[in-house]
Amino acid sequence: METLLNVAHGFGVALLPINLLYCFVGVFIGTLVGVLPGIGPISAMSLLLPVTLSGTPESGIIMMAGIYYGSMYGGSTTSILVNIPGEAASVVTCIDGHEMAKQGRAGPALGIAAFGSFIAGTFALIALMLVAPKLASVAIAFGPAEYFSLMVLGLVVLTFLTQGSMAKALLMACIGIVLGLVGLDSITAQPRLTFGRIELIDGIGLVPVVMGLFGIAEVLLNTEQAIKRDVINTRITHLLPNKEDWKASVGPVSRGTVLGFFLGILPGGGAVISSFASYALEKRLSKTPERFGKGAIEGVAGPESANNAAAGGAFIPLMTLGIPPNVVMALLLGAFVIHGLQPGPLLITQNPGLFWGIVASMYIGNLMLLVLNLPMIGMWVQLLKLPYNVLFPLIILFTIIGVYCSSNNVFDVYVMIAFGVIGYFMRKLGYEPAPLVLAFVLGPMLENNLRKSLILSQGDLMTFVERPISAACLALAVVLLIGPLLPALRKKRELVALDEGA
Amino acid sequence: MSNDANVKFRLSNSELWGGLIGLAFGGFVTWSGVRLKLGTINDPGSGYVLFYTGILICVFAATIIVSAVTEGGPTLASRWENTRWTRPLLIIGCLTLFSFALDTFGFLLSAIPLMVLLLRVIDPVRWSLTIPLSIAAPLGMWWVLKHLLGIQLPSGMFEIG
Repeated sequence: METLLNVAHGFGVALLPINLLYCFVGVFIGTLVGVLPGIGPISAMSLLLPVTLSGTPESGIIMMAGIYYGSMYGGSTTSILVNIPGEAASVVTCIDGHEMAKQGRAGPALGIAAFGSFIAGTFALIALMLVAPKLASVAIAFGPAEYFSLMVLGLVVLTFLTQGSMAKALLMACIGIVLGLVGLDSITAQPRLTFGRIELIDGIGLVPVVMGLFGIAEVLLNTEQAIKRDVINTRITHLLPNKEDWKASVGPVSRGTVLGFFLGILPGGGAVISSFASYALEKRLSKTPERFGKGAIEGVAGPESANNAAAGGAFIPLMTLGIPPNVVMALLLGAFVIHGLQPGPLLITQNPGLFWGIVASMYIGNLMLLVLNLPMIGMWVQLLKLPYNVLFPLIILFTIIGVYCSSNNVFDVYVMIAFGVIGYFMRKLGYEPAPLVLAFVLGPMLENNLRKSLILSQGDLMTFVERPISAACLALAVVLLIGPLLPALRKKRELVALDEGA
Repeated sequence: MSNDANVKFRLSNSELWGGLIGLAFGGFVTWSGVRLKLGTINDPGSGYVLFYTGILICVFAATIIVSAVTEGGPTLASRWENTRWTRPLLIIGCLTLFSFALDTFGFLLSAIPLMVLLLRVIDPVRWSLTIPLSIAAPLGMWWVLKHLLGIQLPSGMFEIG
């Protein structure tokens, strides 16, 4: 009953005209960046992070969340029609989705992707409504040792899942922690690594770092390659899947939804890994696995449902523990912090309007996406023809303005350009920026909790292993760190390794 | 990337350079941690986490260097093989010039030339589109920010904008 009352309260907030507008803008931009290859949700959210300053916290976060799950919807369009994933979570949709399009079945592929996404998104939201308050009440009992260990686990999982060498990913995470510690020490107020620059006293801003690493660096990388697009030119008809399509898709949608939701909750997990896991699961369960890769609708329905469910599930650790499980959620955390809010176990009780408003807006956003994605598919296809030589300079201009507006400080523009160049060279040398960004956000919290734990325990390191949750997190982190040394686990890691930056 | 690009213990090995940069950075962080005071285990100081993170950076960088020496790795040149590498280089140049000009000349006087350069550098856009777009985009954004959102962009020494 209490949950229903809270949901009603949430809808009261989400249905305010201004919040509806922000929700629409978010899902529209999300679909747009999902459709356009080369610009992922991370770049778009970092670009729009300063915009959240202009409205209420609810409006800003509703828009940011809309971009995230909107991009999951939009990403499937390019995967199916162009064979280029709009964002990383849609990579696996290319395999069977584009094959279906080549066989003249682009309509049912797009249709099942949209319906599967809607069903999964709805399930994830209901689960979020039920799980988050319960988990938050448990999390109130968490001490600094638990928080520290959870953050260590989150970072280790992300480095484990990052493409390429694990040593490089761990190196990136450590550099992220160092960058996060620049500025005044929160306990002693001593300036650290500021080089006498007054602009660095408050630390390096999240906006310039993320915009540089994901916005500018992405443009630099994309301009290296001539982007070829082979858009399916035939008219897209029969968007509604037929009876056989539905029959074949019910199982994959259900399994993908549940799998995606749970993988989304895990620190370091998220939409990308869940879509790959769902595809592998469907192929394994299929009586005719040979159809996969040749236009099997199950290969579209499962992964598309999984990545949307994961997008919903990822909100749980952020909202209940205040720990972002991936880079996208780290950006959302940034949006909360910009507004002076701290997500965590107390958010639901102290700010119910915000929490339930965001959850309700996500449901409304899912409905909006269904309307945006099916009848307006022709418009999104036209967008795929937008010339990149015009788009990229405009993105650079937006990033410059976005960074300046976030702090009214030219220094941040320099920081962004510097991180753009660093990010470009990092990616060229095989160093992924995702662990760096997550560690950059978690770094100050990690240090704070470590020092608090040590002070409270009077320097007894056993405090981290005597508490069961902390011990379990650290044990899992150790397994994942040692794991890649074993050939079997290394092979598995390479299979699931993902490119968060896309 | 061709197989010939994989080289063992050569100075052109890109993995080696990545590791060396990491090692230098780790060394600097460790030294900064010591300088900021480590404190004790029951009262960690400002440099405590920096010091240990610096050591971890050195360890991971050393792992990368060892692997570069023993297993080899792609050369620096091969990382840019078959790419249009001049384009990002030109964009970086344009952005560097822009960053120098922004404070002195202000947003409008530096963003318009930046747009002209970018539109002509990436994949040259025809002049009939370059000129209006280079003027309209920064001007439009400046107008929206100044008049609708009340945000003042840098106006530079000429106080334009």
